[in-house]
Amino acid sequence: MHKIIHYRNKCIGCGVCHEQQPVLWRMSKKDGKATLLKSTGKKDVFILSIPDALVVHSQDVARACPVRVIKIL
Amino acid sequence: MKQKPIELLAPAGSFDSLQAAINAGANAIYFGVEQLNMRTRSAGTFSIDDIKEVSSICKANNIRSYITLNTVMYEHDMQLLKSILKEIKKRGIDAVIAADFSVIHYCIELGVPLHISTQANVSNIESVIFFSKFADVIVLARELTLNQVKSICAEIKRKKIKGPSGEPVKIEIFIHGALCMAVSGKCYLSLHTQNASANRGACVQNCRRSYTVKDTESGEELAIENEYIMSPKDLCCIDILDQVIASGVDVLKIEGRTKGADYVQVVTQCYKEAIQAVHDKNFSQQKVTAWKTEMSKVYNRGFWEGYYLGRTLGEWTDKPGSIATEKKIYVGKGTKYYPKIAVGEFIIEAGSLKKGDTLMITGPKCGMIKEKINKLVVNGVENAEAFKGDLITLPVATKVTASDKLYKIVETADA
Repeated sequence: MHKIIHYRNKCIGCGVCHEQQPVLWRMSKKDGKATLLKSTGKKDVFILSIPDALVVHSQDVARACPVRVIKIL
Repeated sequence: MKQKPIELLAPAGSFDSLQAAINAGANAIYFGVEQLNMRTRSAGTFSIDDIKEVSSICKANNIRSYITLNTVMYEHDMQLLKSILKEIKKRGIDAVIAADFSVIHYCIELGVPLHISTQANVSNIESVIFFSKFADVIVLARELTLNQVKSICAEIKRKKIKGPSGEPVKIEIFIHGALCMAVSGKCYLSLHTQNASANRGACVQNCRRSYTVKDTESGEELAIENEYIMSPKDLCCIDILDQVIASGVDVLKIEGRTKGADYVQVVTQCYKEAIQAVHDKNFSQQKVTAWKTEMSKVYNRGFWEGYYLGRTLGEWTDKPGSIATEKKIYVGKGTKYYPKIAVGEFIIEAGSLKKGDTLMITGPKCGMIKEKINKLVVNGVENAEAFKGDLITLPVATKVTASDKLYKIVETADA
């Protein structure tokens, strides 16, 4: 099982993750940053376990993030 | 003719820089919060919760504070934008610097004073007339010549163009700091290479790197004099400050929210003195040389006067980063303060210090202090040298905390 880690405090709210993978990402109406849906997190680090089928796509999304705050483990 | 008052506007990317700007005599500062400013990528950006403190520090020191909200704005930014605008209205920030029409719209709706950002690339009087309906200050594009600036200022006077406050519209221009290879901000290099938009404050500065130019047909590389083919030298108007002021501008802006408190204090101080010298009619080449020497010690990519004198082509730096003649080497941080005797204690965390070294302290209370140490007190005893792990004490007028950083200053050639 792979994990997505989102370092949310450094997100600049460009919206590319939401555009590319709306099934996992939403733009918060409250603070304009990306939110990793159904993730669990403390402070500014959010984690979500993903099925293998989503790994390649998620890696593309991580590469597209301009400030590299999305990591796939 | 009596010279009108000039406002010197300094960058505040941190509380250290804010205090440095105050120390140097800035009349106003500008800062950004969260992700809606053009320096989002840089560390130490302020949060919405810092607005209160920034405002109270500025008010206590009788200087104006402006907030930059000048990125491209998306639909999902609107709530944050409104929250920031409500907070700045509550805290009495003097104006918002904006380019996007959503920001302009909400500022009008909330009655928040507005300045038009250089990101709007205002380059002619008709644009000034258009924006004067909403803004009292307009920052012109950095690519104008001084003659064009002068003509805009003269037209404002002639046509009696007034802002919403009823006062004549003020013109602001950049006088010092980094220049963009593109028309300010209208650059997509960073977006194309790393999907990091400069217009969301995420520029990765591709232009500052060296490049080879290759003929793809033959595979031959072209011989070029300078591999930094897209990296302009920094703007520096101190040579021509008398002409700049004579053009009729009201506000002189220094770029550099990502730069250290030392840069902010030194550059602001030099321009403060230069403005005074122009006012006192004793602005001289000798003084200019001294100011330039001083400013060369802090972060710079080499200086030129930008496009103001009508240059058709930029001047390019030949180094990847700063060519400052002095370098600051991190030595340690503050640990304790003895207010009764105004002495600060610092722990040496890296390298060493010796009597006679020049030290620099940067911090939120002191801004920047730089001085040669003639007496070194190490672990409570006078000593000639201090090493890693030692505690040194120095006289410091303002409170020292762990946020205060201690540096050793060395000439670049010795670094």
